[in-house]
Amino acid sequence: MRKLTIFLTITIGWIFCLAALSLAQAPTLREQLVYGLNVFNGKGYGGGFAPYTEDTIYLIADKDNTISANITLVYFWPITGKYVAGFQALNEKVQGTLEILQGGQVIKALKKEDNTLYYPEGYWGESAIFYQGEEAHAYFEKFTQAIEEYYKQISEFYTAQTEYQKNIDEFLNEIKERRDKGEEFTIEEIEKSIPREPKQPAPPIFYVTAPKKDYVINLPLGRYKIRIRAEDGTIVQDSEKELVTFTSRRTGGTGYEIIPGNRWTRREACDDPSWLIYAAGKNTLYFSPFIQDEYNELYYNKLLDPQNPGREEKWRWVHIQAIKDVTLLFSKGKETLQRIVRVPYYVEQIPGPELGYEIVEFNPEEMFDRQATFEGYKLDLAPTLEKASYEINLEKREGEFFQGGRREVRLVKKENTQSLYIFSIFPLLVGAVVFVTRRRKLGS
Amino acid sequence: MAQKGLSLSIQTVKALSKRDLYSTLRSWGIYVVAFLSFIASSFILKNYLDSIKADDILISADPLNYPLFVSVIIISFYLAILSAISISREKDQGTLEVLFYGPVSSFTYILGKYIKDILTYLVIVVFFLVYFWGVSLLTNLGFSYGLLKTILVSIFSVSCIISFGLFISCLTGKMRNSIIWLVGILALFLAIQIGQSILLGMPEENMSPVLTYLGDTLSVVSQGINWISPFSYLTRGIDSVYLDNTLLYGLNILYSLAYSAILLLLSIFILKRKGVKG
Repeated sequence: MRKLTIFLTITIGWIFCLAALSLAQAPTLREQLVYGLNVFNGKGYGGGFAPYTEDTIYLIADKDNTISANITLVYFWPITGKYVAGFQALNEKVQGTLEILQGGQVIKALKKEDNTLYYPEGYWGESAIFYQGEEAHAYFEKFTQAIEEYYKQISEFYTAQTEYQKNIDEFLNEIKERRDKGEEFTIEEIEKSIPREPKQPAPPIFYVTAPKKDYVINLPLGRYKIRIRAEDGTIVQDSEKELVTFTSRRTGGTGYEIIPGNRWTRREACDDPSWLIYAAGKNTLYFSPFIQDEYNELYYNKLLDPQNPGREEKWRWVHIQAIKDVTLLFSKGKETLQRIVRVPYYVEQIPGPELGYEIVEFNPEEMFDRQATFEGYKLDLAPTLEKASYEINLEKREGEFFQGGRREVRLVKKENTQSLYIFSIFPLLVGAVVFVTRRRKLGS
Repeated sequence: MAQKGLSLSIQTVKALSKRDLYSTLRSWGIYVVAFLSFIASSFILKNYLDSIKADDILISADPLNYPLFVSVIIISFYLAILSAISISREKDQGTLEVLFYGPVSSFTYILGKYIKDILTYLVIVVFFLVYFWGVSLLTNLGFSYGLLKTILVSIFSVSCIISFGLFISCLTGKMRNSIIWLVGILALFLAIQIGQSILLGMPEENMSPVLTYLGDTLSVVSQGINWISPFSYLTRGIDSVYLDNTLLYGLNILYSLAYSAILLLLSIFILKRKGVKG
C-alpha cells in the first residue's frame, strides 16, 4: 500500500512538472524565407505573408499585386493555429529576379519596382489605387506637398488663433469701457465689429503610402510557378511556390448586411439571392446594401491570408462597394408598404438592465462631436403585420430596380409550433385507413 | 429463348417485389417509423422557430433541409433493417429454399427485394412532400427548390443504405446476427460522422489535447470510410444542394448508383456462393 502511494505521488508530481514545463515553453522561432504580399482583394489592397508551409499563393487575375521575398523569424501561434512572422526581429530582403514559369518555361522575369497605394477616401477608406514607377513617386510627392501645405495652414491658423484671442480680449475690454461710460450698442453694431474666429484648415482627405520596392505581378487567369533567381544565377532556396490567379464567377450582384435592432453588434449577411430572411416580427432591421462579386471560397480566403482554410467547391460573395443612392421598397405582392431612404444612425449607450443601447438617427448639428455608427435603411416590422411573405427591393428611379436587389422576407408563424407535433400523426392516420380497408376487404 | 428467359426474370422480380411491397404497406411498421421521424423533425423545427423568436432573424435558403436529413436517416435505418430481416428470415424459415425451386434466382431475388425497398421509400417520399408542405403552410418556413433537390438526391442515397442492408444480410446467416451486424456497423458509421462534425464545429482554442487528438483520429477514420459508409452519400448529396453545385449533385447521384450496383452484385454473388441455406 505504502509503495503504491509513493508510486502514485511520484507519477502525479511528474505529470504536473511536465504540464508546468509545457506552459512555460516559448514558441520555437525558425528562420525562413516568406513571401510578403500586398494584394488586390476586389475592393482595395490588403497585406499578408505566405510562410514556408503554404506552397501556393492566390491572386486575382489581371490586377496589379506586389510581393516581396524576406528572410524572417517564423513561429507557430497555437491559439489561432497559424504561423506568425516576427518582421520586427528580422526582416532581410532577398535580392534577385522573380521568375514566373508556366508549363516549365520562364514566361516573365521581374525586377523590383517602386510602387505605392493611393487611398482617395483616406487610409481607412475601402478603395485604393495602385501606382508604380514614376507615377508612384509623383503621387507620393503630391501627398507630401498636400501634407506640407496642411502643416503650413495649421501653423498660420495657430498664429491667427492667437491674434484672434488677443483681438477678442481687446474688443471685449473696449466694449466694457465704453459701456461703463454710458454708451449703448445694438446687437447689429456689435456683430459688425466683433473679430472673426479663424477657421481650422481641413487635412487632405486622400492618403498615399511611401513608395517601396517590390515585384509587381499582373497575370492572366492560370496556374504558374514562381521562384527567385539570385544575382549569382542560382535559385534561392525555398523560394519556389505555386501561383494561382483567379477571377470572379459572377459580378455586380447585390448583397445585404442586416443589423437587427435588438442586437446591433451581431450583423447578418444576406448575400445570395436564393437566401430568405425569416423574422419573427416586432423588430427593426437596418439594411446596408452592397455591390458584390462572387469568388471561389478557397481561393479568396487564401488571397486574404494564405493560411486561411476554405473549400474549393464553395463560392462566396465579397462586398465591393456600398450602394447609397437608392430607395428600399418593402412590399407585399404589388403593393408597396414602405419606401425607405438611407439615413445615418448613432448607437447611444444607455445605463440600465435591458438592451444597454438605443439606435437613434444621427443628427450632425446636435452630435457635432461624434460620428455616425452606421448608415442604413430602417425597416420596422410592426407586430400588426400579417404573418406572410414580403419582399424588399432597391429602386434606382421610379420603376427601375437595382439588379439582384430583391429578397424575400417571411414572417414565421411561431404560434403554430405545437401544431407541428399534431401534424406528425398523419402517417399513422394513413396506416389506420390502410388497416381498416384491408380488414373490411377480408371481412367481405 | 433468351428473350423468354428475360421476360420470365422480369415477371419474377415484379411478382416478388409486389408481394413484399404489399406486405410492408399492410404492416404498421412503416407508418410508425414515418411518424417517429416526423416527430424528430418537428422537434428540430420547434427549436428553429424558438431561435428565430429569440434572435428575431434567421437567414437561410433551405431551413427545412436539416429536419429532412434527420427524417431520412431514421427512415433509411428502418429500411436497411427491414431488407436485412426479410432475407435472413426467409432463409431461417426455409421460404427461400422453396422460392428457389421455382423460377427465382439469386439475381431476381435480390433485385426484387431492392426494388421493393426503393418503392417503399418512394411511398415515404410522398409522406415527406405532404409533411414538409404542411409544415411550410403552418410555419411559413420556405418549401424551396433546394428541398425538392434534397428529396430527390435522398432517393439515391437511401438506395445505397438499402443495398448495404441486403449485402450484410447475405453475408450473415441468422436473422439475429444480421440485425446485430447491420445496426452495429451503421451506428458506428453514424457515430463517426456525427462525432467528427461536432468536433469540427468546436472552436480550436476550446479543445483539450485529448479532443484535438480524437478530432484528428476521427478525421482520418472518416476519410477512410468516406466511400464505404452509405450515410456519407447522403451528406455529400445535401452538401451539393447547399453549395448549389450541379456538377457535384450529378456526380453524387452517379456515385450512389455505382455504390448500389456494386453492393447488389456482391449480394447476388454471395447468395449464389453460400446457397439458400447458407
